[in-house]
This record gives sequence, structure tokens and C-alpha cells, in this order.
Amino acid sequence: MKVDLIISKARADGRELLMEDEAKEIISSLGIPVTHCLVARDEKEALLQAEKIGYPVVLKVRSPKIVHKSDYKGVVLDIKNKKELRAAYREITFRAAVLDGEAAVTVQAMAAKGLETLIGATVNKQFGPVIAFGLGGVFTEIVNDVSFRLAPVDPGEAGRMISQIKGCRLLQGYRGSPAVDTGALAEAISRVSNLVFEYKEFAEIDLNPVAAYPDGVLVLDARMRLKIGEMPANTR
Amino acid sequence: MERMRSLFYPRCVAVIGASDSPGKIGYNILYSLIYGGFKGKIYPVNPRIKTVLGMRVYSSVNEIPDRIDLALIGVNKNAAVEAIEQCGRLGTKGVICIAGGFRETGDEGLALEKKLVEVTKKYDIKLVGPNTLGIINTEASLDATFYPLRLNTGGVSIIAQSGGIGLQIIKKLTDEGLGFNKWIAVGNRSVLEIADYLEYLSDDAGTKVIGIFLEGVDDARRLVQVASEVARRKPVVVYKVGQSDVVNYAAITHTGSMAGSHRLFRDIFNQFGILLVESVPELVAACKALLLCPPAAGGRVGMYTYTAGPSITALDRLAERKIDIPEFRAETVFKIKSLLGENPLAVLKNPLDSAGVGNLAETYGKLAMTVLEDPNVDILATFCCVHKNWRNPTPELVDAARKIRKPILACYISTLQESEEDRKILQSAGIPLYNSPEEVAWGVAALAYYAAREGACGEGRFDY
Repeated sequence: MKVDLIISKARADGRELLMEDEAKEIISSLGIPVTHCLVARDEKEALLQAEKIGYPVVLKVRSPKIVHKSDYKGVVLDIKNKKELRAAYREITFRAAVLDGEAAVTVQAMAAKGLETLIGATVNKQFGPVIAFGLGGVFTEIVNDVSFRLAPVDPGEAGRMISQIKGCRLLQGYRGSPAVDTGALAEAISRVSNLVFEYKEFAEIDLNPVAAYPDGVLVLDARMRLKIGEMPANTR
Repeated sequence: MERMRSLFYPRCVAVIGASDSPGKIGYNILYSLIYGGFKGKIYPVNPRIKTVLGMRVYSSVNEIPDRIDLALIGVNKNAAVEAIEQCGRLGTKGVICIAGGFRETGDEGLALEKKLVEVTKKYDIKLVGPNTLGIINTEASLDATFYPLRLNTGGVSIIAQSGGIGLQIIKKLTDEGLGFNKWIAVGNRSVLEIADYLEYLSDDAGTKVIGIFLEGVDDARRLVQVASEVARRKPVVVYKVGQSDVVNYAAITHTGSMAGSHRLFRDIFNQFGILLVESVPELVAACKALLLCPPAAGGRVGMYTYTAGPSITALDRLAERKIDIPEFRAETVFKIKSLLGENPLAVLKNPLDSAGVGNLAETYGKLAMTVLEDPNVDILATFCCVHKNWRNPTPELVDAARKIRKPILACYISTLQESEEDRKILQSAGIPLYNSPEEVAWGVAALAYYAAREGACGEGRFDY
């Protein structure tokens, strides 16, 4: 239900791209933990939201015109107090102003360090909905260590996606680092695969990074793109 | 299915556009039917000539006194649509449209192809192609291509998305001493898709193993789902070309270069338990092992050789495919020692390399048997080099296959001709013979894959 509403709103705005807070709301509705985004439209509101969450926090630019937030230096991590927050807010909105004078920000909790993974989904021309899993961050970009399946997958098949990647040993605990919760990862992969399979509106889903911990996972960033020019969601 | 059957087992065939000029497709379609030994009735059609190859030529399909089950369309694209309409009116169920010039040539061709599809829908015609080499069914001595061939029947059926590669597979199967059963060049797939042929072959009694050459399909989801179902009943082996091609894959990270289509294909085919291979020789080697051998109980491979190189080469290929090379049991090593002496000039582990002492057929047979009997071994791959003065261990291997129902794959390093007799004897006994270690490894890997597959096909594909 929530998914339909969010999709309809984006369609009504003429947007294919969902905002991070919208995408995370969808992911959260699937029962997958996320760092929640509190939207702030000015500095005062940003301070209030940070107060609510408790420091340290993360500040990210929020604009339908900015897809890759980091590319525009629109993300500031590990903000420890009001002073840092004010500075971060000014920096981010100043840089964003070039593209979007009305850019807002989101305030999020600073997550504990985990192992960065990614869960992606795309609609392939030949196969239809496809789900992907890999190690996040530099591993994605350099090693290209990703496994694919036709969506949907059950948690068992998702588990095989995890054990298939070369970097799986990192997930199983390596040189003193603890093993991460691959069960929770598999469950998350499976749920995202169901989402992209059931809602024909999605063109692309990119959860990256998804932090994996010894007990559970946490989605730190999420992007979702809808198919171009389709009617509001009613496809379930 | 009944309509599909009329494609492969027609009683009466019309050749529309039969020509008396050997340079033309229309001549060679007719010639192929006759040369291939088709036993049904053949009706050439062409208003401009009276006879061809000693046969009466009909000026139109309407004149033919029989009901046509299969029409081979040898005329050009524009005439083809009209000819198919005529056949449809007469109740013809199967049509093969050889002519190209449809969607592969642009908008005009696409429009014509749409018209063609409309006609087939109107009359419920099963159409192969257009833009195809045709089909072959050796069981009915039906060569419905324009390549005159005389072929032995066998248990492998082939679906090829390219006539040329389809022919390459036929030639390789022939070299390997195998016939084949059905052969389909799918062409543009305007009406019948690869999945449709697969479904037909799944129920086809003569087809024991299915090999597919794939370029790309529009509905890959249906293809993998159907292939997965079919593979529960009989082995399916797919060679997918285009490994370096990035086919419209929407990148899932902002680097935009996450994945080529081949990785996607490989993972998804594997997800559905469909064996994917990397070349025509591997396709044929895999089909051969799956056709001839009894099913493997597991994927553990024992090897016997008296020359190290071939076994190492095979090991490389097997390692790439993560095939298990187990240790021998203690009693196996004990048996080997009792045959060769306490400290033989041999490597007493898997692969067993008897070096200078195991080359004569009698000893070879005993050592191969010892490896085969090891409970850790599910599949035996065995190597030898054909020699002018030493007899090949063929009778010994046949004897081993008779005694123990585990797959045995033999590699004789020789020319095709040198091992022709041995090939016949071994392969009638269910032992595929290969002439290179790579091929033997590919055969082993295919058996191991199907042994590990959930819901794998059972017995009943022993005969060929």
C-alpha cells in the first residue's frame, strides 16, 4: 500500500527517481532495517532533526535534480555537534544551489561500521526482473564481484548468491573480523527480489551500501528509479 | 503438438519455388529432400517449369491432388507471404520459410514479417523461420534444408540460432561417431520460439539429449523456465555466444559498467540448472557423454593415464569447473601396488599415472578397473596414446563397463581415422571416445553437473 502511494506521488510530480527517504520508506516497509531520513528544509529544522536523532549524524542533500549525491559532495558523514552540523548544512546547500536552489537535506543517524555490500535489482530486456548482490564500495567498482539471479529468489537461493561471490570469505569472517549475518542478508535480497518482481513499475533499485553486521543488516543508502512514463502504480 | 509433429513427420511435402537451376535455393531444397531419402510424397511447385529432377512440377499448390502437411517455401520474401496464405487455405499445418529479408533488414522487412505472422495466426500454421536453413529429422529421413546431407540417426537433437553453427555441430557430431535426431535452425523465430521447439523435443521419444546454440532471445525468462523443466526429463546443454557483449544491461551502480550480459546469463542459467558451455566442441563433448554414459551417481572423478600431460590438461579444465578429484581409498592404492609391485615407477594418487609400466593393454585394463572400483570415484576418465605396436585397451574398457555401472570416458590420443574402429566398439558399449583431453574433461564436467542437479534426469538415455 505504502509502495503504491510513494510511486503515485512520484508519478504525480513527473519524477522517475524516488528520493532517498521515499526509497528507504519502501525498503523499511519490507521489514529491512534502514537508517531513517528526516527531511529538513532549512538550517533550524536540520538542527531540530539532528537533536531528535542524536549525534553523530549524517547530512545528505535531497533534490530530484541530484542523482549521485556524493558526486556533488552532497554527503557529510559523522557530524558530532551543532557547530559541525551548521557548517555541513551551509556547505551542502551552497554546492547544491548550482543545480537546485530549492534543494533540501536529510538528516540520518551515523551508522556503526559494518561490511559494505550492495543489493541491486534491474529489469533486463531479455529476462525481466533480475536481482544482484555484491560487495559494496570499491569492491563493486574494481573487482566487479557480483552475482545475479532471475527475480524472485527465496532466501535459500539468495544464500547461494552470497556464497558465489569471490569476496564471500570476507563475509564469513577473515583475519579477526567477525562473520556477518548472511541469513539476514539473504532475507533482504529475497525481499527486494519480490519487490521488483511484484511491482512492475520499478526500472532499477540500488541499495548501496547495505552494511552487514554480525547481527543483522542496515541499508545506508537507497536509490530507486521507475520505468519511464508509466501510469501510477496499480499493478499488484 | 500435433501441428508441430507435421513439421517433423510429414506425409506430403510441397516445395514452393522449386527450380531447375542448381545454383538456386529452390533447386537445393528439392534436391536435399530427395538426396536425404525422404520416403513421403514430394510435390514441386513452380508455374514457370514443367519438370525438375525427373519430377512433374505443379503450377500452383491448388493443383496438388494431396493434402500438404509441410510446405517448404523457397520463393523470395514477397512471394512467400502469398504462398503461405495459399497453403493456409488448403489446410497445411507446417511451413518452413527459408527466405530472409524480414525484420533483420529494417522497417519494411518488419512490416512484411508482421503480415507473415498474421497469416500464420489466421490459419494456425506452425512456421519455422523465416530466414532459416530449415529443419532435419533423421528418423523420417527428412532433410528440409537446402544443404543436401545423408545422416545417421541418433539421440542428440539440436536447436540452433544459426544455420552455420548448426551445421558445424552436425559435422562435429558426425566426426565423433554420433548421429543426431532432430535439427532445427530457428531463423527469425517470428512464430515458433526456441522454447516451443524445446517443449516439442521434451516429449519426442527419439530425442535423448538436447543441444542448443543461442545468440539471444526476446523472452529469456520463458526460455530458462522451459529449459529447466525439460532438463528434469532429459539433459539440456546450451552454448551461449556473445560473451563480450553488453546487451542493454541497465547498470545497477553509478559506475554504469557493472556487468556484461554473459555473467548474467551464466548465473541465471545456473540458477535454473541448465548446463552452459563455451564452444561447439564442448557442446558436442557434453552431449556425447550425456547420451552414451549411464548417469553418474556423483561428481567425483578418478583418472588413469600412463602419460602425465593429458591428465594434467584435463585436470585444468576440470578445476575451472570445480569438479571434485578425490583421493583414492587405501585399498585402491594397495591393489595398485599388488599389480605393479611395492615401489613402482608410478604416481600412486589420483590421477593414477603408471608412467612406464602401465602401457600394455592387460595391465592398463586392470589399473583402469582398480580406479573405477574405488568407492570414492563416480566417473572414470582414462587416457592412452595410440601406438603402432601396442594394442589399444578397448576390450578391457568394454569389459569394465559391463561389470561396473559407472561412467567411463576414454581419451585416445590419435587422429580420428586411427581410432575409428575403437570408437565404434567403445561407444556401442556406452563409453564415449574422445581424441583430446579437453574434450574428455568437458564430457566429465557435463556428467558431474547433471549428477549434482536437483531433479536430474534418471535412467533411460543409455541407448543411442
